[in-house]
Amino acid sequence: MDQRSVAHACAIPGSDEQLWEMTAAFVTAGLSAGEQVVYFDDGTVDAVLERLVDDRVPVRRPLADGQLTVVEAAETRRALRAPVRDAATGLAGLIDGAIDAGYPGLRWTGQLSSGLDRTRGVWLGDHDAAIDTAIAGRPARVLCFYDRHRFPDDVIELLRARHRIELDAPALYDDNLLRITRTAPFRIRFAGEVDHSNRPVVLRMVAAALDEALRSHSAPATLEFDLSSLRFLDGAGAVGLVHAAEGFPESHRLALHGVRPGVQRILDRCGAPFAAQLDVTPHPAGHDGPPVAGAR
Amino acid sequence: MRVETTRSAGVVRLRHGAGFTSSPDDVVAQAAPIVAAARVRGEPVALAVRPATAAALTAVLEETEPLTAHPSGPFTAAPARPVLLLRPEGPDHSGQTLAGRWARELRTLTRSRGGVTVIVEHDGDLDGIDGAFWTELDAALNVALTEVAATVVCLYPQLPLHLEVAEGARRNHPLLLVDGALRHNPAHREPRDVLAARGAPAPALLGPPDRRMGFDTWQLAAVRERVAEAARAAGCDRDRVDDLVLAVNEVATNAVEHGSGDAHLDVWTGPAARELVCEVHDAGTLDDPLPGLRAPHPSDPRGRGLWIARQLCDLLHVWSDAAGTHVRIRALP
Repeated sequence: MDQRSVAHACAIPGSDEQLWEMTAAFVTAGLSAGEQVVYFDDGTVDAVLERLVDDRVPVRRPLADGQLTVVEAAETRRALRAPVRDAATGLAGLIDGAIDAGYPGLRWTGQLSSGLDRTRGVWLGDHDAAIDTAIAGRPARVLCFYDRHRFPDDVIELLRARHRIELDAPALYDDNLLRITRTAPFRIRFAGEVDHSNRPVVLRMVAAALDEALRSHSAPATLEFDLSSLRFLDGAGAVGLVHAAEGFPESHRLALHGVRPGVQRILDRCGAPFAAQLDVTPHPAGHDGPPVAGAR
Repeated sequence: MRVETTRSAGVVRLRHGAGFTSSPDDVVAQAAPIVAAARVRGEPVALAVRPATAAALTAVLEETEPLTAHPSGPFTAAPARPVLLLRPEGPDHSGQTLAGRWARELRTLTRSRGGVTVIVEHDGDLDGIDGAFWTELDAALNVALTEVAATVVCLYPQLPLHLEVAEGARRNHPLLLVDGALRHNPAHREPRDVLAARGAPAPALLGPPDRRMGFDTWQLAAVRERVAEAARAAGCDRDRVDDLVLAVNEVATNAVEHGSGDAHLDVWTGPAARELVCEVHDAGTLDDPLPGLRAPHPSDPRGRGLWIARQLCDLLHVWSDAAGTHVRIRALP
């Protein structure tokens, strides 16, 4: 999406965790490029902001100075109900506004599912044509999310056909409750919740990561698990991680990063402080709630 | 529900005896020398007695001030004065919950010294409909305090209103207080055997729940969501919500892991609810009548869920009947 040639793309996340991950990545790229980012909210912005905090992206200043602008849910729905030409004019106006404010460009994304209310998404398709016209030759990027939780499969296929570019984000595992991704060769990220339904997957992942590290000449001696976006870990999952680390060969360690307070407490109750080969570092934000509730 | 619980056999350090008394004065007369002897040894003393008995013991022991409820530990030195253990709180009197709480309190007392001496006095107000509360409490103390270096002497009336009180006491206590000394009790039975005849009593019915949902392994996330909603509505802060969600999740996980596939969650809410009240039911049987009362061994991969849940809730009462296994949870914000 960050190639100059790609201005308008779609993405079809299979799970909410993938939606937050891809949205946050798109927003982050815009913020770090100095662009203005406009997010059309529909009850989803708190999750996106939470993910940005998990990703260690500073959001307070961009929210305060308008570099990151959140369009409220009611306004998002109103915009999606307005005639197509109004939406195109509105987008062109946003681009003009961003340039006038000194930003090199504009990024536009959000939760568009309220557009489904109108004739099963056909209108959303017209909207895509208008977007193409509005951003042609202009410094703007639009990423349309049609996630499988909120959009019916047939509408997704219709809308997908209207985009030349579709973005995807691969995962090692995603069951709608837990998403596991590889963020670096020996760094794995967990987002969502671990319970009785998917705990075996996590423990298999630990074993596979260790196996891979032991077979590799270049692997570091510490396996890194990023738990910044792990909101829940059950008792047996915590015991599993602690016991896994205790079973590592002496040459290797397991490091859990970005651990949220609730997850930290269950790890503590399950013996993590006494596991010599387990390192636990807390989430820097502490997770007291959405980071910017008062700033919008 | 087959609740996994601790299987490791530790050293039994608990000395648990029953004494039978003829009158309230006799309670004081039998308790005072035990307390005095403990203080000569420099041992902390804890009391779970009726207020009148506490006052009488205070006078006999020449305490200058009234005794107070157990101050929060951990103690670096043994408290010089006897402390009062928590009394049952809330509308449900659960012997297993009380035993778990006393175990936590007594551990903080024994950390400072080798042992602790405890006097428990029967209180008819807690009998319930048949006195089974006391049978459950004593059986639960045998489990929860196994590894605590405590000498617990329970004083029961010779002629209680409910026969169950005296019969339960005779079966539950490995020792009997006879002429001021603790002696072997040949009638003693293990907690499992005691509760085989009469399990933990069912708590009072709460009426129809405000929310009921069936669940399986793949719906535990929905159970957590429902509990989080109810906990927030009861006024819990974020950390407390997280902890209670964890507690109920552990109970619900037991239900789907070992139950019959017919698990459901009941939640009582409403504008007046100032606490989280919920129940988890399944059609399975209960292998261990008092699960989760003993701290799991660190190397044991299983059996931790219910123990953790008990630490986090104000009441966690497990019982079973012909319909299956049931767990009631109450938790204040």
